Amino acid sequence: MSIKCPVCGKVAKTGSAIDCARHMFGTGDKPHRAWFESQGLSYIDLLLSQTTEPGNKAYITVAELIEKANKD
Amino acid sequence: MEKHLLRITVNEQEYELYINPKALLVEVIRDHLGFTGTKRGCESVSCGACTVMIDGMAVKSCSVLAMQVDGMNVTTSEGLEEKGQLHPIQKAFLDHGAYQCGFCTSGMLMSSKAFLDENPNPTTHEIREGIEGNLCRCTGYNSIVRALDAVAKGNYREDKA
Amino acid sequence: MKYNVINTHVHNIDGIAKVTGRATYTFDVKIPGMLYGKILRSPHPHARIVNIDSSKAMELMGVKAVVTGKDTLGVKQGIWRRYSELCDEQILPLEKVRYIGEPVAAVAAVTEEIAEQALDLIEVDYEVLPAVYEPMEAIKKGAPEVHEGVERNINVTRHIEWGDVEEAFENSDYIREDWFKCSGQAHMCMETRCAVASYTPEGKLTVWTSTQSPYYIQGLLSGVLGLRESDIRVIAHYVGGGFGGKFELDAAQFCSSVLSMKLSKPVKIVFSREEDFIATKRRTPMFYYVRTGVKKDGTFMARETRVFTDGGAYTGMGATALYLTGFFHSFPYKWAGYRYDGFRVYTNTLPSTSMRGFGAPQGMFCSETQIDLIARDLGIDRVEIRRKNAHTPNYEVPGQATIASCGLTECLDKIEEWIKSRGDLPPNRGIGISSYGFMSGGIFNWFDSPYSFSSAVVTINYDGKVDLHVGCQEIGQGSNTTMAIICAEELGVRIEDIRVHSGDTAECPPDLGAWGSRQTLMAGNATKMAAADAKRQLLEFATAKIKPNIVYDLDIKDRWVHLVARPERGLDYFEVVKDALRGKGGQRIVGRGFYTPHRKGMISPAYSYGVQALEIDVDPETGKIKLVNCVTAHDCGQPINPIGLHGQLEGAISMAAGYGFLEDMPMEDGKIMNPNLVDYKIIRATEMPETEVFEIDTYEPEGPFGAKEAGEGLTNPTAAALGNALFDALGISVKQLPITPEKVLNALREKKLEDNK
Repeated sequence: MSIKCPVCGKVAKTGSAIDCARHMFGTGDKPHRAWFESQGLSYIDLLLSQTTEPGNKAYITVAELIEKANKD
Repeated sequence: MEKHLLRITVNEQEYELYINPKALLVEVIRDHLGFTGTKRGCESVSCGACTVMIDGMAVKSCSVLAMQVDGMNVTTSEGLEEKGQLHPIQKAFLDHGAYQCGFCTSGMLMSSKAFLDENPNPTTHEIREGIEGNLCRCTGYNSIVRALDAVAKGNYREDKA
Repeated sequence: MKYNVINTHVHNIDGIAKVTGRATYTFDVKIPGMLYGKILRSPHPHARIVNIDSSKAMELMGVKAVVTGKDTLGVKQGIWRRYSELCDEQILPLEKVRYIGEPVAAVAAVTEEIAEQALDLIEVDYEVLPAVYEPMEAIKKGAPEVHEGVERNINVTRHIEWGDVEEAFENSDYIREDWFKCSGQAHMCMETRCAVASYTPEGKLTVWTSTQSPYYIQGLLSGVLGLRESDIRVIAHYVGGGFGGKFELDAAQFCSSVLSMKLSKPVKIVFSREEDFIATKRRTPMFYYVRTGVKKDGTFMARETRVFTDGGAYTGMGATALYLTGFFHSFPYKWAGYRYDGFRVYTNTLPSTSMRGFGAPQGMFCSETQIDLIARDLGIDRVEIRRKNAHTPNYEVPGQATIASCGLTECLDKIEEWIKSRGDLPPNRGIGISSYGFMSGGIFNWFDSPYSFSSAVVTINYDGKVDLHVGCQEIGQGSNTTMAIICAEELGVRIEDIRVHSGDTAECPPDLGAWGSRQTLMAGNATKMAAADAKRQLLEFATAKIKPNIVYDLDIKDRWVHLVARPERGLDYFEVVKDALRGKGGQRIVGRGFYTPHRKGMISPAYSYGVQALEIDVDPETGKIKLVNCVTAHDCGQPINPIGLHGQLEGAISMAAGYGFLEDMPMEDGKIMNPNLVDYKIIRATEMPETEVFEIDTYEPEGPFGAKEAGEGLTNPTAAALGNALFDALGISVKQLPITPEKVLNALREKKLEDNK
């Protein structure tokens, strides 16, 4: 299943939720950040965790929420 | 606080001073006698910037009380030249760029002289050991080693001048 | 190109003063009636200053004054003058302290000892506040606010991007991501921070200080003291090292000035080595996340990097380091898509700022370590993968920078040749490489200076001796000598004909100072222009005398004014000078020059390049590393002063290698645990490897005689090369600096576990 970005509809080449999460972090623009807040997440906290802790826990957290958004 | 009499020869000149008995040699050299070539770079006898020669031996002047040197001969970097003629080590430093900011240089020169006086034919490894007590943040030491090696090899002997 | 003075064996013109103990540093300055100042420092990492009672201290015999923030104008200053939100530091704070060691009061007394005793008598009531030491903690919701109103303690953000990063990743065959942690580092100049300030009843202030930029200190003091810039004179004839830590306003300069203004007496403040460690600004520690996409043939496609830096308590030059680290992290390779996001976070630790390399050593460590891993993963030769993607002459980093001269490929070829010549290495020995590319000065004017970035004045006296007045600052890197060489070459005289004046704002033109590797290119250009101006005026008189056909040119070389086409026809320089002065009614010939980069991209007018190979021995039992050999091929355009250049290279290696495996500032609850030279390890003569240099010849059109920087770029690759040498020797990749024996042993243990799986 091709996962769509819940903000701009973009689909990653691999179609995966993790790569969609990467895209959302990467753009970092206001609408994408606002989506994080709407999910009860802090964009900056996630960014810090992703940058400083190996393992991409932040991406996984966000990917799960993206998958959920795609199901709705 | 009672001051004590100190008799000391620095750079071949005799001095008589009344000093605080707790004064370090480096303080007397710099503040009382005005020889500011010798520097201080630390409080833990670690950097070597204060190195002078006492009766021919390299000593960190922050590690001895001036009173301990009563009656002895001290040489600082200002005492290396003779009637304006630079000492071979000084000439070698100039030729090899063996200094940059110059703050460690006086101490480095005195460690070098004491070392070469004692070991006139060193290997480069021995030279490195000879100046191990002197920190330099600017040069990376290799130019100093090259300079001292050139002196040891006789490039600056009088007859070559 | 063969020159008469340039690239010849020249003694440093300050040499005799330095090797005979005659050079007077601020450390040595003594003035009649001088008082000694000491600074009382906060023991708390974060606290409100409730009250300071200095009455008991004032009663101590010999104490002349005690000052606190209340005795100052309370100006929040910072070197990024143009951006008020980054001017966040009151050196004597009024409301609160933000790091252990921050000044809260200063004393002036007749002796250092009495001033020291007085500190113990000053009573400070603190309201201790919760403190935060790690960016990870500082950025959380509810973390203590280091500066009021700065959300999440995020001080500065920077973003650099070109190309379509996502598309570039999608077009990659192989993607790798890694996490790194880069440490801070102390400048550890041999001369600690110090200043002698003397304010007189005419309302003028003279400050002798150990600084990289007398002009910056003059401007910054003017801002915080309410004095006119030109009523402040900053003098720095000899400076015992700078390395990026001495061009911002520091507490020695500020407190001595405030005390002197109160007393109209000279006041000297010299930092102890401990103070120099704990209460100055350090190299910026950084967390790096790097994701890189490449094609299976090794072509670099995409890179996405995120960095959080530990900014410490104040901004300083940290905003610039945040930008430059992200920019040079892409160097020296071509990327289809590149994205960098940098975040600077306030913490209650000593401020982070610039240090030789300016963020690039950190950037290179992360980039080059990952490149070796990618090369290994794809089975591509580590030199080949770099050569494939290397910057080339006239390349444009999209929207960011135009590279003119670039000898990187030749540097790679040279290092490849050297590695091959080493043949098979014994066990536990490895060679690691790293490339770099670096700026020759920046184009930014965050200081908001109205002056040209560099200026020079050449004055020719009747006896032919030339006075060269420059604002560029000699800090040991040899800029006085470099400028003398450029002036002598351009004017056509010998180096002994030049007398350089620098290090005094009253005597010399303004110059931004010695940082960012700017002086050889910028001050060099100004000097060359001034010398050319003076030469042109001389040649007018020579032309009148020689009366050549209008199509012929005259020039001066080695004190000989001659026809270029017929060099045997000419006049003695000294005779021409005499005629010229007479012709000008007895006025000396004066030439003026200046330089400010215009339309030179976003970063710098020119870039130096190089590749370094470091050969190490590592003991797998103890984890200890020994440096064996260091070989560098570099392109600095036209070398100006070869002895100076070699010295800069070796000095850079010692500092950068130290960053790689020796120097560390561990902290506990905001307190530095090793603020002395016993426990803070810097390289000694016995640990320095043999070095070899290959000069790669290029010509940089923007630089004087084709010259570019050398001295800062050379600190970029060594830590990376060290890490890569370890990788080569033992197959382990340590991603945290410094690479201590402990980290080596941990990595070996982890590798053993992995291999056993």
